[in-house]
Amino acid sequence: MESNIRDIVIIGGGTAGWMAAGALAKNAAGRRITLVESEEIGTVGVGESTIPPIILFNQLLGIDEDEFVRETNATFKLGIEFVDWRRLGHKYFHNFGMLGADLHTGVPFLHYWMRSLRAGGDPDQLRFSSETEAARRGKFGRVQRTPPGAQPNMHYAFQFDASTYAAYLRRYSERRGVVRKEGKVVNVRQNAETGFIEGVDMQDGSFVRGDFFIDCSGFRGIVIEQVYKAGFEDWSHWLPNDRAAAVPAERMAEPSPFTVARAREAGWQWRIPLQHRTGNGYVFSSSHISDDEVVSTLLGSLEGKALADPKVLRFKAGRRRKSWVKNCLALGLSSGFLEPLESTSIHLVQAGITKFLDFFPHRKCDPILIERYNEEMAFQYETIRDFIIAHYKVTEREDTEFWRYCKHMSIPDSLSDKLTLFRERSEVKPYPGDLFGDISWFAILYGQGLTPEGYHPLADAMSDDDLQLRLAGIRKAIMERVEALPAHADFIQRCCAAQPVTTAA
Amino acid sequence: MTDRVGTVAVVGRDAPLWLAAAALQRAFGVTGVRVQAVELPSWLGSVDCYSTLPSLASMHRLLGIDEAKILEAASGVPVVAQRFSNWAKGAPPYLVAYDDDPSGSGDLPFAQYWLKGHKEGLRAGIEDFSLGCACARLGRVPLPPATANAELSASYGYNLDASIYAEALKQLAARRGVETISARIADVKVEGERISSIELEGGATVKADLFVDASGAERVLMMRLPGAQFHSWPDRFPCDRVLTASAAKFRSLPAFAQISAIRGGWIGIHPLRDRTTISAVYSSDTISDQAMVAQLAVLARMPVSGDAVVSDLRPGLLDRPWVGNCVAIGEAAAAVDPLAAVGLHLAQGCISHLVTLFPATAGQMPESMAYNDTIRAFASNIADFTQAHYLLNRRFDDPFWDQAREAPATPTLRSKIDLFSARGAVSLRDNETFSEQSWTWLFLGAGIEPEGFDPRIDLVADRPLIEKVQQRLRTVAELAKRMPSVDQFVGGIDQLEAAGVT
Repeated sequence: MESNIRDIVIIGGGTAGWMAAGALAKNAAGRRITLVESEEIGTVGVGESTIPPIILFNQLLGIDEDEFVRETNATFKLGIEFVDWRRLGHKYFHNFGMLGADLHTGVPFLHYWMRSLRAGGDPDQLRFSSETEAARRGKFGRVQRTPPGAQPNMHYAFQFDASTYAAYLRRYSERRGVVRKEGKVVNVRQNAETGFIEGVDMQDGSFVRGDFFIDCSGFRGIVIEQVYKAGFEDWSHWLPNDRAAAVPAERMAEPSPFTVARAREAGWQWRIPLQHRTGNGYVFSSSHISDDEVVSTLLGSLEGKALADPKVLRFKAGRRRKSWVKNCLALGLSSGFLEPLESTSIHLVQAGITKFLDFFPHRKCDPILIERYNEEMAFQYETIRDFIIAHYKVTEREDTEFWRYCKHMSIPDSLSDKLTLFRERSEVKPYPGDLFGDISWFAILYGQGLTPEGYHPLADAMSDDDLQLRLAGIRKAIMERVEALPAHADFIQRCCAAQPVTTAA
Repeated sequence: MTDRVGTVAVVGRDAPLWLAAAALQRAFGVTGVRVQAVELPSWLGSVDCYSTLPSLASMHRLLGIDEAKILEAASGVPVVAQRFSNWAKGAPPYLVAYDDDPSGSGDLPFAQYWLKGHKEGLRAGIEDFSLGCACARLGRVPLPPATANAELSASYGYNLDASIYAEALKQLAARRGVETISARIADVKVEGERISSIELEGGATVKADLFVDASGAERVLMMRLPGAQFHSWPDRFPCDRVLTASAAKFRSLPAFAQISAIRGGWIGIHPLRDRTTISAVYSSDTISDQAMVAQLAVLARMPVSGDAVVSDLRPGLLDRPWVGNCVAIGEAAAAVDPLAAVGLHLAQGCISHLVTLFPATAGQMPESMAYNDTIRAFASNIADFTQAHYLLNRRFDDPFWDQAREAPATPTLRSKIDLFSARGAVSLRDNETFSEQSWTWLFLGAGIEPEGFDPRIDLVADRPLIEKVQQRLRTVAELAKRMPSVDQFVGGIDQLEAAGVT
C-alpha cells in the first residue's frame, strides 16, 4: 500500500474548511483535495476580529494583503478596547505588539516600566505602545520593519467579514485545484478492521473516498464525535456564556482600527468595524439573561441602523478531548469552542492547520504523532481559556449576578499560578508556545485592576538616569512613528478600499 | 619698607569679591586701611545659584548680615543634606548631612556603636542616627539647639539666587565704606613678584600695598605673576563643563539638594523659593553641550525652562596662592568640582585665613608662606572630599565612571579610605572643612563596609550598647520631628511660631 496520503477530504465549508483547503492546496501540492459542503447548512460568523499571527497564515498562503483586505471588506486592527470590564465607566486597551523596546539586559521592558511606576511614574504603560498610541488617534499604517529596539514596529491584524473571507479562500483554493462537492454527508464509512475512515456517502448517492479527513462540520463533529466519540471537555463553569446575538449595522464613518469589547450585564458586546458595515454581537449567559433582553440591549446600543434581524447563536465553551483520531482531524468548532473575546477563533483554526502541516502524517498516521498533536492542541486551548477566564475573574464588578458569579468562581490551577506570579513580579512567565505573552497578560491583568506588587528584581540594576533617558528615547521614537502615520480610513482608501474609489471630477 | 599696609585693592567679581572686600573693610577699616574694590564684569546669569555650606552663616554673623533678610531677598532655601542618587547601580540614594561633631566628650564616635550593632544584626541604617539625615528625609530644618551643650546638632547650608546675593553683598560692602570702581583691567604692572599698580581701561590707575585676586577662574592678577602656577587635576576630576538652567519651583520644598550621577557626569537639583536651579556637570569628552541640553529635562525629571548657560570648569590649585603682595582667594586660588557645594566656602576660607594672616607690614610679607601652606591643605582636603564621591562610585560598565573609580587619589584620601575600610574611623587633618560625621555618612553611603571597628567598643557591654543605640535613635527621631519644615522655615518667624518652634 502506498504510504503517502493521496486524497484529503474536508467535510464542511465555512471559515475553518476553506482555511484548511487553502493551506493544503498551497502546501500539500500533488494531493487531491476535496471539500464537501452544503449550501443548506448555514455558517456561523458575522464580523471576525483576528490577531497578528494571521499575517503568518496569509504569508503561508502567499496571499497579497491588499487584495485580501479589499476582498473581505477588512479594516486593520491594533488591539481591543475593553470597556466597563474592571468597573463601570473604566476603559483599557489590549495592545498588539511590543511594549517599549528591548533594552538588551535580558529583563523585559515592562519591568523597567513597573519600576518607573513604583517611583511615581505615569500609570499608563501604553504610552510605550506604538499600536495603542496610533489606535487612540485613529491612525494606521504599515511601517518598515526594523530590528527590535530600533524603531517601534506596528503589529496589526484584521477585522473582516467572515463569509466573504470563506468565499475568498474558496476562490483561492479552487484556483489551486481544490474540488468542491455540493451536498450533505449522510453516512461515514469506517474500515472494520482499522477503524480508519474510508469515505463518506453523500445525499445524492455518490461516495467520496479519502486517505485523510478533516472534520470542519461544526459543533456536531460528524466524524470526530459522531463516529469516534472523542468526547467534550465542558468549561462552561468557568466560561458561562453560551449564546450570542449578532447583528450587522451601518458602517462607521471612520472605522476604528480596533475592536471594542464592552462588558454587559450578563456577558459582553463586540463592535467590529468593517469597510462596508459594523459587526455587533452580545455574547451572554442564557442562565443569567433572556434572549429578548439581550436583543433589545443590542439593538438599543447600535451606533448605526441595523442591517438585518439579529440572529441568536448557541454554543458551549469547551474542547474536544481529542482533535485528531486515526485519520481524522477536527478543525474549528468541531474541535472546541472559546468565546471570541480575544479574537482567537480563527487563530485556533490556523494553529490547528499549521500544526497539522508540521505534523503531516503518512497514510498510517503514527499514534505517537497523533498523541503529540493532541497534547499540543490541548495546551493551546487551555492557555487561551485561562487568558479569557482572567478577564472575568479579575474584576471589581459585582453589580449583577453574572459578575458576582465570575468574580467569585474557582479558577483552574494553571491560571491561579499565573496570577500569583503576576502579583509578585508583573509577569506570568508563559510557557513556550503560549499564544499570549507577558505584554498581553500585563495589559489584561493590569487593565482589569490587578497592579503587581513587585517586578523582576534585576530591573533595579540599571541606573535611574539610564532608565529615564531610555524611557524618554523610546517614547520619543514611538510618537515620531505614530505622528507619521495616516488616518486609518485614509490608509484603507488609498491602498485597499473594497469599492472602486470614485473621485469628483 | 616697614610701613603698614595702608591700601588693599580687591579685584574680582560677584560674591567672592564683595565678601572679601566687606570682610577686610570690617576687620581693618577701623585701623585705617583703605579697601578698594575693582569690580570686573559679572559672570552671573539669571539662572545661577550659589549652593553653600553651613559655614556661610558664620561669615554672615561676622559681617553683621541679617540672615533672614538676605535669605528672603535671595530666594534662599536651607540645604540640610545632599542626596546622592545613582552613584551605584541598583543602590538606593544616600544622604550626606552636616552633623556637628560633638566637642571633646571623650566618648567614641557614635558610628562605632552603630558599626558593632550593625555587624550583630542591627537593622536601622546609619542615616536614622544622623539628625541631619533624619531632618533631610522629613523635609525639616535642624535649627541650632537652644543650649550650648546639646547632645546633638546639625547645620545646614543655603541655596541662594546668585545675582541677588552678590548684589546684596555689594551694597553691604559699599555701606561699610568699601570704594568701588567698575572697570576692566588694561594692564598689570609687575616688579619682580610684586604688583605695583593696575591700569584700568579708561586710563585710571589703581595702586595698593596689597592686592587680592577674587576674579575666579580668570585669575586676572595671579596669571600676570611669574611665581604663580596653576596645576589642574584633569585625572582626578573628569568634568570640564557646567551647564546651568532653571526649572519651576517645588510645590513643597525639599530639605536637600539632589546630586544624581549620570553617564558622563552628574546633575544637581538645587531648590530655590521661586525656582529650581538645575546644573549639569560633565565631561565634554563624553557628552556634547547640545546633547546635555537635549536630555537635561529627562534626567532632572522636571521641565526645564529658560536659557541654559554653559561654562568651563577646570579644577586645580595655584601652587602659591599668595605671591609677593597679591593674594588669591576662592576659585582664583583653588577650583574644585562643585559637587559638594564648596564654591563660596573656598572663598570664605581664604578670606578668613587672609584676615588671620593680614600682613603686618607692606614689605616682604612672610605671611604668604603660612597662607600658602594653609590654603593648600584646606583646598586639598576639600578636593579629597569631593573626589571621594567619584572614586567610590559603583556605576560599573560606564567608561567615564570606570575611569573615575580608577583615577589617582592623593595619599591623604587613600589613607582616609583605608582607615575607614579597616575600622569605620575618620582621621581629620588640619584645615578640614567637613566633619567626621559628614565623612562617615559619605563613606558608608558610598558603600564602604568597614571590616572591623574600634577595639575599645568591645569594652562596652551588650546592654549599654543596645541602650545607647536605642537612645540615639529615639533622640534623633524626636528632635527631627520637632524641627520646622523647610516651607515653615522660609515662611519666616511667624510660621515658625505657629508651628510651635521657638
